Formats: sequence, structure tokens, C-alpha cells
Amino acid sequence: MRRLFTALFWLLLATGALAQSRPNQDLVTSLSSDLISIQSNFTGTEIVIFGQASNIPRQPDDRSGFELAIVVEGPPQDITTRRKGRFLGVWVNREAERFQNVPSFYAVASTIDIGRMANRTLLDELGIGLNHLNLAVSGVSNVALADRDDFRRAFIRLREDSGLYSEQETSILFLTDTMFRTNIPLPANIPVGVYKVKSFLFHNGEVVASTEQSLAVAKSGFEEFTFQLAQVYPLVYGLLAITLAMFTGWLAGVIFRRD
Amino acid sequence: MQLYLPIAEIPVNIFVIFGMGGAVGFLSGLFGIGGGFLLTPLLIFSGIPPAVSVATVTTQVVASSSSAVVTYWRRKAIDLKLATILLIGGVLGSLIGVILFQVLQSVGQLDLVISLSYVTFLGAIGGLMLFESVRAIRRRRSGTAPKARKPGQHNWIHGLPLKVRFRRSKLYVSVIPVVGLGTIIGFLGTVLGIGGGFMMVPALIYLLRVPTNIVIGTSLFQILFTMAAATVFHSIGTKTVDIVLAMTLMIGGVIGAQFGARMGQNLRGEQLRLLLALLVLLVGLRFAVDLLVTPEDFYSIAIEKGAGA
Repeated sequence: MRRLFTALFWLLLATGALAQSRPNQDLVTSLSSDLISIQSNFTGTEIVIFGQASNIPRQPDDRSGFELAIVVEGPPQDITTRRKGRFLGVWVNREAERFQNVPSFYAVASTIDIGRMANRTLLDELGIGLNHLNLAVSGVSNVALADRDDFRRAFIRLREDSGLYSEQETSILFLTDTMFRTNIPLPANIPVGVYKVKSFLFHNGEVVASTEQSLAVAKSGFEEFTFQLAQVYPLVYGLLAITLAMFTGWLAGVIFRRD
Repeated sequence: MQLYLPIAEIPVNIFVIFGMGGAVGFLSGLFGIGGGFLLTPLLIFSGIPPAVSVATVTTQVVASSSSAVVTYWRRKAIDLKLATILLIGGVLGSLIGVILFQVLQSVGQLDLVISLSYVTFLGAIGGLMLFESVRAIRRRRSGTAPKARKPGQHNWIHGLPLKVRFRRSKLYVSVIPVVGLGTIIGFLGTVLGIGGGFMMVPALIYLLRVPTNIVIGTSLFQILFTMAAATVFHSIGTKTVDIVLAMTLMIGGVIGAQFGARMGQNLRGEQLRLLLALLVLLVGLRFAVDLLVTPEDFYSIAIEKGAGA
């Protein structure tokens, strides 16, 4: 009896998985690389995302309402945004707003202006576009309701300044009627972790097909070793640091000895 | 040449960092100081996260002071007993410092406290040094001999209990001010990323009346081990010690220090102190400007949790 249940369970699971992995005929995407490794000479890179939107009745000069948006999203972070104010003549951080589970990296590429792609509700739901990001705030906050939008705008602006958030409208290039390509730059300060690359095919403001792939950003070699040592064996790391420092100092003392 | 820092998680120009280490090393050799109070702000202003700057400079100070300690050790110019008691305070202060550092970081006031402390300490000490060196230069010009210290002169510190005899320094004082001084310097060193030599030396001379020939070696010895402790505490607590950044800085630093030390021998003591006083005041002023002038951007962000926190 129990065996039967187990078998049934697996069967259900298998059919479910099959349904999910059924190849989507309308949209196929691929990344130039699914692993970005950060080594000591890393100064940023870019990934190329290319794909095919087949079965589109698309003419060269007539888009017929078909549009694409590709979102690259880094692992989530909690980020506090603070605003300075004057206190006893000195500029100090006064109000703070904590945004929870926001992407550490966010880049969106599209074929047209994001606002024209679909209605606001749908864009908000899918998180397409910097104005449609879900910036959830924590319950504790000393920011006045009227100022909340200022904090959101400042947050997005600061992230854009550091190159971690970007919006490149009309940056998806169609190579043929159905094949497209786009480049997403990854700056040197990108956080490590698993990224999601989500592609959406819109037709007259509705999503008709979508794909999701993952992209890993990881330190490798010496960088990875050093980072892991500092995280996993902090005592060893600390002792190693002072041993190196003392040795360097002592060596200099010996080399430049004058008395 | 760009080099990616594994802990700071940003690429830096290795020659710029090496040059900074060298320049600060030169000044530290010239004035006989650790140079942490110059290096930490320099790193912060050049875009290294404050937490990484502070923690990494503690490691750099270990290198620069161990080089000098070897020399003083050979000259037997270190009072080991005094240094050890200072060190007990230093380690204690450093531990409190790391804890406070984390608390301040979490409430978002670390930068403010670092800036305010720099303004206060550099302003006060720079001002005192400026005053003292100008007076010394005037005295030299007018030809009056400085007032010699009367033997057996006492201040309130000598009235405290728990007295211990320090043979090397020819002192008989209470351990309370010694441990207290060590704690304060260790605490400030850990929070501000400075060795604290420029505070320790005057305190030992004027408060405890340690002979001048013993002061520098003893102070350096205690700074070496306090900063070594701070490096370990930062590694475990804040995990912000960047070993690649530290190595680059210390190699530049020890080379620069040698040239500085050679040049320092050609300058007179009070001239050196005047220059150092101006330098200290300048750094203090730079922080004061940041606090007082309306900032270009009122907003700032800090990662609290998740990737890169």
C-alpha cells in the first residue's frame, strides 16, 4: 500500500515537472556564459544574452505589438537608506528606511520604453523597470509618509550611480525577424551569488512567453580562497595577517639596518 | 594596474595604494609616528569602505611598528614591564572598541563617530603640539634655557594606590593610570584605525613622567601588540581586514619609512614637531569641513543583509 502511494507520488511529481519543463515554443534564450568568475584582475565584464522569439508574425517594419524585456537580477539584500540632517550644527544621519529583499543588482533591457510595453499593474507585478521594482520597507521606520517617495528615489539613484542598477531601453537588438541579442554590463563591484535572468515576450501589453535562467557570479582562485579563509576561519586569517605584517616589518628592519 | 580586493570587493589601482602607503610611510619615518591617523582617512577619502579602511590599517600599523621595535629592542630602549601593563589595558580597550564598532555600524552612526573623533582628537593634540613647538622655537631664538624638570616633582597621578616599581623607567607609580591609558589608546586605535603613538608618547612623558629615551620604544612595543590584537578582533568580529590591501600598504609603508627616517635626521626636533602639528590639524580640519559643510548628497545607503553585507 505504502509502495503504491510512493509510486503515485513520484508519478505526480514527474508529470508536474514535465509540464513545467515543456519547451516554450515562442521564446528561447541563452547566455554567453553562465558563470562569471571574479579573479584578482577582475574589473567588470558583460554578459551577452541572445535568443529567438519564434512563431511571431513579425514584419521587418511592423512590430505588430511584439516587444521584449530582459531583467538581470542579483541575489537579494536588505539595504538601509539614510538621510542626513543638521543636528547641533553638524550634519548627521537622521532618518533611515530599510528596504527588504531588494535585488543587489538589477539591469533591465527592452525593445521600447518600458512604460509603453504594458500597463503599470503588470510591470509592477513582474518587476520590470526601475520604477516598477518592489521596494518593500520594514515596519520600523522614522520616515514621514510624505518623504517615503524621496527615499525610494534616492535609493534607486544611488544604486544607479554605483552602476548596480540600470535601465537600458531600446537596447535589445533584433538581428533577424526573430533572433535578438543584448549586452548587459556587469560592473566591478557586483556582489557574488546566483543571479536570475528573466526574459519576457509581450504581445499587445500581455506576456505571451517567458524564460528564466540562472547566472552564477563567484570569486575564484586566490580571491575565493582568501575570502573563504576570512569567513570560515577568521582566527587563522587574523593570525596570518599579523604574521605577514610582523615579517614584513622585521624584514624591512633587517634590509635597511644601519647600526 | 587594477587589483581586485577580496574583502573590500572592489578593484583598486595597486600603484595608487602602494604610493599612499609609501607617502604615509615617509611621513611616519620622518616624524617617528605610526601614520594610521593619516592612512585611514586617506583610504576612506579614496573610496575604500570605512570599515575595511579602519580594520586594514590596524594590520598595516603592526608592520610599520614591528620594523621600529626591532631597532629599539637592540638599543634596549623598551620598558617591558611598563609595556606589558599598558598592553593589558590595550587589549581590553581594543575588545571594547570592536564591540562598539559593530554597534555603531548597525545603527548607521559609525562614519559620524569616526569623523567627530578625528576632529576632536586631532584638533586637540595638533593644537597642543603646535603651541608647544612654537614656544620651543621662540625660546631657541631668544636664547632662554627651558625650565628643567625638578626631580621628585609629583602630580595627582602619583597619589593613586596599587603602586608598582618600573626599574627600566625609574618609576614608582600606580598601575591604574597605566592600564587606563592603555585601554583608552587601544579603544581609540581600534575604532579609528590608528596606532595612537601621537597620543601615547605625550601621555607617557607628561602624565607618567617616563624618561624620554624609553618612551618611544615602549610606546611602539605596546602599539605593535595592541594593533595585532585589534587585527585579530576585527578579523573575527567585523571580518573587514583585507589582507591584499594591507600587504600593498605595508610594503609601500616600510620602504617610505626608511627614506623618511633619513630625512628626519637632518631636521630639528621642534621644527619636526611644528610640521607634524600642522599636518595633524590639517587632517582634523578636513573631517570638520565634511561635518559642517552642507553635503552634496543628503542620502547614503548601507547593505545590511544578504550578498555583500
